[in-house]
Amino acid sequence: MEGFVDVMFQPLEDFWRGFISFVPNLLVMIFIFILGFLFAWVIGILLKRVLAVVKFDIWCDRVGLTALIRKGDVWAKPSEVFVRILYWFLVILFIMIGLTALQLPTIDNLISQFFVYIPRAFSALLILIAGYLFAGFLSRAVLIAAVNSGYHYAKILAEAVRLLLVVLILAMALEQLQIAPGIVVAAFSLLFGGIVLALAIAFGVGGIDAAKRIIEKGGEEKKEETGEKGRDIEHL
Amino acid sequence: MSDFHQTDPIITLHRLGRAGLERIESEMVEFSKQRPIALVLPALYTEFQGEAIKGIIEELKKVKYIREIVLTLGRAKEEEFKKVKEFMSQIPYEVKIIHNEGKRIQEIYATLDRNGLWAGEDGKGRSAWIAYGYVLANGVSDAIALHDCDIVTYNREMLARLCYPVANPNIDVVFCKGFYSRITDRMHGRVTRLLMTPLLRALQKLVGPNPFLLFLDSFRYPLAGEFCMIADVARTNRIPWDWGLEVGVLAEVFRNYSPRRVCQVDIADNYEHKHQPLSAEDVQKGLMRMCVDICKSIFRTLAAEGIVLSDSFFKSLQVAYIRLAEDTMVKYEADAAINGLLFDRHEEAGAVEAFASAIQKAAEAFMEGPMVSPLIPNWNRVTSAIPGILDMLKKAVDEDNRS
Repeated sequence: MEGFVDVMFQPLEDFWRGFISFVPNLLVMIFIFILGFLFAWVIGILLKRVLAVVKFDIWCDRVGLTALIRKGDVWAKPSEVFVRILYWFLVILFIMIGLTALQLPTIDNLISQFFVYIPRAFSALLILIAGYLFAGFLSRAVLIAAVNSGYHYAKILAEAVRLLLVVLILAMALEQLQIAPGIVVAAFSLLFGGIVLALAIAFGVGGIDAAKRIIEKGGEEKKEETGEKGRDIEHL
Repeated sequence: MSDFHQTDPIITLHRLGRAGLERIESEMVEFSKQRPIALVLPALYTEFQGEAIKGIIEELKKVKYIREIVLTLGRAKEEEFKKVKEFMSQIPYEVKIIHNEGKRIQEIYATLDRNGLWAGEDGKGRSAWIAYGYVLANGVSDAIALHDCDIVTYNREMLARLCYPVANPNIDVVFCKGFYSRITDRMHGRVTRLLMTPLLRALQKLVGPNPFLLFLDSFRYPLAGEFCMIADVARTNRIPWDWGLEVGVLAEVFRNYSPRRVCQVDIADNYEHKHQPLSAEDVQKGLMRMCVDICKSIFRTLAAEGIVLSDSFFKSLQVAYIRLAEDTMVKYEADAAINGLLFDRHEEAGAVEAFASAIQKAAEAFMEGPMVSPLIPNWNRVTSAIPGILDMLKKAVDEDNRS
C-alpha cells in the first residue's frame, strides 16, 4: 500500500520540486521586466532632456529627417519618436534578458539569435538614415545642375535619381537584415541591370547619330590638339 | 455703370456696361490651361452655419476654370471639419480643406515655431498664408485667387472678373484687387471711407509726395478682401497675421513689384457681408482693433521707407486727419442725399472720433516698439530654413482630407 501511495504522489512531488525551483526564476524574470520598464522610463526622460538641449528636433527639421518621419504619417516630434523607439527597444531588451532567467533551452536559443541580430538591425537603420540623407542631397544636386543647364525635365531626372538611390538603399538594408538575401540581390541586380541595358539600347538605337557625332568631335579635337602640339615642336 | 477714370500709378479696370459673363468665363477656361488657378477660401466653422456660404458654393459649382479650391478652415473641431468636408464634396472639382486646429497642421505650426519662424496668432492672415503654402507645395496652380466666405451678394462674375487680369497673359499683371461699393439703404465701409482715405491724404500733406502713400491712395477699396495674384507673389510676399492684413499685403506688393503690374478691378455693383460693430470704447475689439492694426502697418511701412515719425508728427497727423475726415464726411453726406440713402451725421462723426483715437493708440504702440512686426516670414525663407516643410504640409493636408 505504501508503495502505491509513493507511486501516486511521486509525480506531484516532482512537479512541486520543479515548481519550487522554477518560482525563483519566474520572480527574477518579473523583477527584470519591472526593472526594464523603470530603466527605459528613466532613460527616456533623460534622453528627452538631452535631445531638447542639443536641439535635436531643429536638426532633424533642417536635414530632412522630420519630413521622412512625416511621410510615414507620424506627427509626433522627432525627439519623441526617437525616445519612444529607444524606450521600446530597452523594454524588449530587458524582456529578453528576463526570459533567460527561466533557463529554458528553447527560449535561450531564440534569445541568443535575437542578440546576434541586434547589430545587423542597427547597421541597417544607419544605412537607411545615411542613405536617405545622401539620396536627398544627390537628388537636389542633380536638380540644381539640370536646371542650371536648362534641361527641361530637371525635376523628373532628380526624382528618378532619388528613386533609384532609395531602391539601392532599401536593397542594402534588406541584405544587411538578411531578409531573403538571395532574392533581394537577384531582384536588385535584375532591376539595375535592366535599367542600364534599357538605357544602353535606347542610346544605341535612338542616339546612334549623336554618339557618332560625339566620337567624331572628340577625334577631331584630339587631332587639333596634337596638330597644335606638333606645330609648337616645329617652332621650337 | 462706372466712370473710366484711371488712378495713377496702378491700372484700374472698370465695369463698363456689357456684363458678358459667358464671354469672360469661356476666355478664362482657355487662359486657365496656360495659367491654372487655385481659389483660396479662408473660413471659420461658424460661417458654415450661415446662409452666405451656401450661395457661394452654389455659384462655385458652376465655375469651370478653377483648378483647385483650398478651403482653410479655422476654429473647427474634428466633427465639424468632417461636416465641412461633406458639405464641400458637392463641388465637382478638386477641393482640399486645411484643418487649422487638426493635429497635423498644429504640428506644422509647432515645427515652424521651434525653428524661429512663428506663423502668428490664429486668424485670416495665418490661414491664408498656410493655404498659399499648400498651393505652392501642390505645384499645379500658377495663380491664386482669394475671397471671403461671408459674401451675401456673391455671384460667379465676381470671381471671373477678379481672376481675369491675372489669368490673361496679354495683361501683364501680378496682383489684382477687387473693388465695389457697399450700399444697402445707407453707405457702409466706414473704415475705408472715414479712416483710410482721410488718413492717407493727411499723411501726404505732412510727408509730401510719397510713392507708397500714392500707391495705397490709388486703390478705390484698399481694404477689400478679394484679390488674385500669380503664385510667385505668394512665395515672396510676407503676410501680416493681424488685422492689418489687407494693407500689409499691399505694402509687400508695393515693395516687391512695380505698380504698373498691379491692378484693381470693379467686381460687383454692390457687395454685402457681415458687418462688424465699431466698439469705440474698446480698442481690443471689433473695428477698433482692425483700425489700430491698419494704422500701425502704415506707420511701419512709412518708417521703413525712411520717413521720420515722431511725437510731434503724430500730433499734427491727428489734427490733419480730423480736418480731412470731416471734409470727407460732408462729401459723403451730399453723395447720400443725391442717391436717396440714409446718412446719420452723428454716427459718422462718432466713427471719426473713434478712428482718431485708434490713430493715437497706433502711434503710441509704434513709438513704444517700432521694430515689432506681425509679418509671417515668406515661403522662400521658410523653405530655406526647413527644406522639407512643403512636403510635410502637403502630406498633412492630403492625409486630413483622406481620412
